[in-house]
Amino acid sequence: MLLHLLNRSPQSLSVYRELGEAFGADDHLLLIEDACYAALPSASAALEPFGGRVSVLAEDLASRGLAERVSPAIAVVDMNGFLSLTESHQRCVSWF
Amino acid sequence: MLTYALLVHAAPYSHQSALSALRFAETVVARGHRLKTVFFYHDGVHNASALMSPPQDEVHLADGWKRLHEVHGAELLVCVAAGLRRGVLDTSEASRHGLAAHSVEPPFELTGVGQLVDAMLANDRLITFAP
Repeated sequence: MLLHLLNRSPQSLSVYRELGEAFGADDHLLLIEDACYAALPSASAALEPFGGRVSVLAEDLASRGLAERVSPAIAVVDMNGFLSLTESHQRCVSWF
Repeated sequence: MLTYALLVHAAPYSHQSALSALRFAETVVARGHRLKTVFFYHDGVHNASALMSPPQDEVHLADGWKRLHEVHGAELLVCVAAGLRRGVLDTSEASRHGLAAHSVEPPFELTGVGQLVDAMLANDRLITFAP
């Protein structure tokens, strides 16, 4: 059970593809920094491999003016929620 | 209570990652966890520059890291090999290389990557922030 941290926009296709291949059945994905753009409904195809086990960081959404535009399928978490995900997942892998 | 180590690859102000790492570090200690080690690697070594002088209305990243050391005891480790390549070194390395100036002051410490491996093994969590 891994927590994956991703900070690249969905334009970085190869990172999303490699992450999709490495993503396990009990894993969770947190979108931070420019990966917030993947939380927009128009980018939903980029997140298909992750089976709805995806969250996005509220502070990074807000700083990009995206807070009101998140796909309803994605959970929005703040920094405390980010920390909680690292508490509940023993290992954390960063993709960049 | 968990123990955390952070690995910071990103230069300050070039990319959001260094700020993300600092915000996460502050959240770790605010929740009552122990932040034991922050390891600065690759361009992340620039976070240790004692000469960093951002405008007063911006976040001062080096001061933020120092506060985590002073208030919460986090050790601030800088990869010596990455630092030397980038001119980020302390008095001892400056003297060893015959250089007139240095840019790293305590509480930042120059160390080898062995310390990073120790931090990986000794802490409950290692979180990487990279550009």
